[in-house]
Parts: sequence; C-alpha cells; structure tokens
Amino acid sequence: MAKILVIDDDPDMVLASRLSLEGAGHQVLEARTGGEGLKKIKAEKPDLIVLDVMMDTATEGFQLALKLRSREPEAEYAAYSKIPILMLTAIHTTTPLRFGPEQDYLPVDDFVDKPIDPEVLVRKVEALLKKR
Amino acid sequence: MAEQSPASNSLDDRLPHDVALASARLILTRWVAGALVILLTAVSARLLRLPLPEGPLLLTGASILIYNAVLSVFAARIREAEPAQQLRRLQRFVVLQVALDWLSMSAFLHLTGGITSPAIPIFVIHMVMVTILLPGISPYVYATLGTGALAVIAGLESTQVVAHYTVIPGLSADLHRDPIYIGAQVSFFGIVAYATVHLVALVMSRVRETERQVTALLQTSQAVSSTLSLPDVLQRLARSAALALQVRRASIRLLDETGENIPMVAAYGLSETYQNKGPVSLSRSPLDREAMAGQTIVVHDAPRDPRIQYPKEVAEEGIGSILVVPITGRSRTLGVLRVYSEQADRFAPADVSFVLAIARQGAVAIENAMAHEALQNAERARALFVRTVTHELRAPVSGAQSLLRVLVRGMTGELTPQQGEILDRVETRLQNLMELIHDLLALAASKTVELQEAPRPIPLQESIQHAVELAAQEAGEKQIRLRLEAPGEAILVRATPDGLGQIFGNLVGNAVKYTPQGGKVDVLVSLRSAGAVVTVTDTGMGIPAEDLPHLWEEFFRAGNARRSGIAGTGLGLSIVQRLVETFEGMISVQSAEAQGTTFTVTLPIAAS
Repeated sequence: MAKILVIDDDPDMVLASRLSLEGAGHQVLEARTGGEGLKKIKAEKPDLIVLDVMMDTATEGFQLALKLRSREPEAEYAAYSKIPILMLTAIHTTTPLRFGPEQDYLPVDDFVDKPIDPEVLVRKVEALLKKR
Repeated sequence: MAEQSPASNSLDDRLPHDVALASARLILTRWVAGALVILLTAVSARLLRLPLPEGPLLLTGASILIYNAVLSVFAARIREAEPAQQLRRLQRFVVLQVALDWLSMSAFLHLTGGITSPAIPIFVIHMVMVTILLPGISPYVYATLGTGALAVIAGLESTQVVAHYTVIPGLSADLHRDPIYIGAQVSFFGIVAYATVHLVALVMSRVRETERQVTALLQTSQAVSSTLSLPDVLQRLARSAALALQVRRASIRLLDETGENIPMVAAYGLSETYQNKGPVSLSRSPLDREAMAGQTIVVHDAPRDPRIQYPKEVAEEGIGSILVVPITGRSRTLGVLRVYSEQADRFAPADVSFVLAIARQGAVAIENAMAHEALQNAERARALFVRTVTHELRAPVSGAQSLLRVLVRGMTGELTPQQGEILDRVETRLQNLMELIHDLLALAASKTVELQEAPRPIPLQESIQHAVELAAQEAGEKQIRLRLEAPGEAILVRATPDGLGQIFGNLVGNAVKYTPQGGKVDVLVSLRSAGAVVTVTDTGMGIPAEDLPHLWEEFFRAGNARRSGIAGTGLGLSIVQRLVETFEGMISVQSAEAQGTTFTVTLPIAAS
C-alpha cells in the first residue's frame, strides 16, 4: 500500500482517481491547487503524485513539476525530487506544448490520458512505485 | 541611388536589349544605304550620264557594305557577352558605328558636289537616327561634327586643296567657291541640324519618360497586388513611389480609427529618428488636413513652410521638398502618400499626377489587404471561440467518463447485468460526445490560419505507419485485412507531425470504420513526379454519388453512413482537406456505393 497524492482542480477527476486507486488498496490524499499540493507534499511526503497538468492557469501543473524536479542543489523541494510524478493530460491535442517523457524539459515520469481508465491508472502507478 | 532629373534620357536606364534593338535597326538601314549608293551612282552615271566620280562613289558604297558586314559580326558577338558588360559594350559599339557613318557620309558629300551636293539633307536623317540612339549631349556633338564636316569639305574644295565635282550640269562651276553661298549653306544646315536634334531629343525624352512612368505604374501594381498582407502592401507602395519618382524617400500615413491621428505605417529611406519624430494629427497638421480632404500638395521649401508640423526634423533629415497626395479608397480617403526630395522645388505638376496614379493603385491594394485582414481576424476569433467552448465541454465530459469507468469496471462493487448494460449505453453516448468535441477542436485548430508549428520536412511513412497501428486493433476485431505498402527509403514532406497524424489517422480510421467484417483496407505509399502519393482503399460501404460533392463540408455525413448507425461527426474529412491544402497538397476521392472507396492524397516532396 502506497500513499498517493492526487492534485487536480476537477473534483470528478479526483474522485475517479481516488476510487480507482483505493480499489487497488492505496491510500489517497487530495489537493485542489498547486499551492495546496506543495503543502501536502511537505506535510505528508507521499510515495507518488498524480498531477493534473492544467489547473487554474494553463501551466500550473507544469510549474509544480518543475519546482519539484529543480536541479539546483539548494532548491526548496530538493528533498522531494525523487517522488515519482504521473501526469494527467488531455493536453497533447489542445495546446502547442509538446509533452512526453523523452522531452526532459517536462520532468515527469509518465502520463495518463484523460478521461481516466481505472486499470491504466492503477497499472501505471504500480509500475512507477516498483521502479522507485 | 543618386537623384536624377525625371527628364533624363540616359542610356543607362534603358535595358540592353533596347539599345541592341536600335543598333540592329541601324545595321539594317545601312545595308539599304550602301546598296542605294551603288544603285544611284550606276543609274546617274550610266543612264543619266551625270559627270559623277563613279569609281570613288562605288567604292564608298562598297565600303559601307563591307564595314556593315564587319559590324554585324561584332553585334552578334556582343549578344553573346555577359549581360553585365553588354550595355557598356553596346554603347561603345553604337559610337563606333556613328563614327564610321560620319566618315562615309562626309566622303559621299564630297563626291556628290561638296557644298553644292543635293545629298546634304541625308546627313539630317542620320542625325535623327543618332539622336534616337545616343543619350545626353552626344546628338548635339554629332550635329556639330556634321556641320563641321560640311564646312571643312566646302573650305578644302573652295581653296582647291581637294578636287570639286560639279555633278549637276546646270550649276555654275564657281558656285562652290562663292563665300556667300558657302556661308548660307553651312549656316542653314547648322540651324536645321541643331533644331532637328533638339526637337527629336525633346520628343525622345517625353517618350522615355512616359515609358518609364508606364513601367513604374505596372511595377507598382504588380508589387502591391502580389501580396495580401497589409504591412507588405504599404511597404511596397512606399518603395514603388520613391523609385518611380527617382527620389530616395517616401512614406505612407493612414488615418487610424480615432479619425484624428495619422500614424506613419510605412517608410522607405527615412531615418529612424525621422520616423519617430512624434505623432501627426489632423488638427495640428494643416498639410495632412488638406491632403485628407483630397488635395495634392507640393511643399517647395519644406524646412521653411508654415504648414510643416516638424520643421526642425525636416531640416535635419535634409528634406528640401515634399509631395503629398491623398490615398483615396472606394468610399473615403484612407491616408496620405508622401515622397521627399533633398532638392527644394523638386516636384513638377507631371510628378503630381504620376504619384496620384500610383496612390490610386495603392488604395485598391490597401483596401483589399484590409478586407483580407478583417476576414482573417473574424476567422481567428471564431476559431478561438470554438476552442474555448470545446475546452469547457471537454472537462466535464472527461470527468463524467472517468467516474463512469470506475463504476463500469466494478471498482465500487459488482453491477447487476441491467445496470451494466445501461452504463455501457451511457458510456457509448459519452464516447460519441467526446469524439464530436475532439473533432470540433481539431477543426478550430485547422482553421486558425497559422499552424501551431511551422511545417518542416518530416518523414511521411512514420506518420502513416503510426496511423495504421492505431487502426490495427479495430481492424483486428472486425477481421479486416489492413495492409501498408511503402517504399523503404524515407519520403520527406513539408508538414507538421500533428497535421500528418490527423490526415492519415482520419483516412485510415474511416476506412476501417466503414468497412464491414472480413473486408480489406490497403494503404499504398509511392513516390511519383507529382509528389508523394498515398492511397487509402477500402472495401466498405462506399459513398453515394450524390453525396460526393458535399463530402468535404463540415458536419456532412453521407446518407448511408448516417443510416448505418456508425458514430461520426462529419468533421474528419473537412479537417483532412484543410490540412492537406495547408501543406500545399491535393486530395481526391473515388467511390462506388457498396463496393468501396479510395482516397488519394498527394503531398509535395520537401527539398532536403
């Protein structure tokens, strides 16, 4: 059982993720904004983060991932840079930004397409947890 | 470029082929002249029994023909020379011809009676030809040389240094020694020569000026009408106006939406400082007020003219005179076109009407570009609207689908078969809705004029391979034989990866979707002279002939496709067509109902 933080401003997405992950036996924490997410990361030290790319602003999730994975040694969140991030996207068809793990400017570990398929989400979460 | 007087008829602003043509005409005329000299000599001496020096005259005729033959060989060689050198060599060649002609004309004059020769007027004809050919003062020099030749021949003959031939038997044998006769002949010949040269030069300069204006107008109209981008049109118009008037600077100001300010929207040759000298508004610039009211204004002494709003800057820029004309559109004055010269008093009334003509052509192009811009803005706004709306639609549908899947997968407990069936139906409906949103979004994206990425050379097969892989699962479920045949070496086309993905994803996806169990879908890639050709052929339901013309319309679905119950939005093909056109390709379709359909996409090969 792992402690998973879901950061998404869409309550339905959060609920769907929660039900899927809890169904697979994981503990799920929630955050609705990037700021709240950062607070929970510090307070709870989750084993994995499920991060929505678009929250209030089009790049909120993106910024958060960058903050966590900053390579600066004295970065504020250096202690959390090893937490795997699974990004929720519906984005590759709608914005000019191109995403994909091969592009190292978006430092996340994997992607899950919206709408969420519970089995895919669980499979990807567990694969990342195993790799850790 | 140095400023030149518009009346300049310098040979330099003429094309080499014009000079070459004139020179060729001169050579042609000379064949006739040489032959005539021989013929007339023979006739006069043999038939009329005139006391002509037959031998020397025949020799003169023959030498004209001989040197003309040599000259035509030269002319052919010049035609083969480098274009850069051609004009200079042609000019020297023309001078050489004129010099040789001058010699033979002088000889002819001497042999036909010197100052009493009936052939004296022939010299004038030659002067007319020279004036048409040579620029500037050369024709006047030639008139002087011609008159001089006559005077020298008369002098030498009267003092018996050379022989005199009296060819007209009725003339007094002493006439050629009469100082009054000689003086009168030479003076009148000189007057006729100069007057002729002057008049012909005047006519020629008018002709050349008109020719230049017509060319400039034509070039302006080509330049401004070959683009629909407003900044380009304005820039080209300013440049054309300056070049046409042979000055270094021009600018365009357009009235903005306040109806008061007329900002400079294009400048040619003006310094940054001058362009940024400050705002110009109708209430503070009487000059522009007059121009906007349809007046043309010539400012003869710009730095001291009271109508100038920025006299200091005008003086610093070195502007001496300004010509301001209105740019008049269909229903209103759009703005003003100005041309500037360093010289004071540079612009003549002829320049005014010329610039007005240029401004009128510009006005048409400006209005076209403005209309095009407005259309594009409307199109962009519409696309943005559709995009925003679809984003807003997408999030809730996506949320609902995610939750529904949690239920359907039994993550909240087992469902009864009936509940499962109901939820399956809901899921299908949501899936259709999502597809519609997705297509709308793609349509909006394809309609924004700029693609999100610039097209670049990308390998065609990769995209097609990917599209085929995406369709493979559905094909497998329906036991459709899906086949891809493509040449081994990569074919590069100028496109975007997303765009190609959309094109072939749609075509291959459709082919599988509308082909029944056990059918065939063939994707063929080939390289032909027309470009990269991709055909997607299926053995599906086909498209009824009456529906083919509407196939590319948004939301159109063929009757049999609608009745089939297969979900679809009718947007896919219109997106495909738009993208293919964006990538400068072509798409066509052949179909027979109940037999199958072939889509053919041709894309230009990217130069690697």
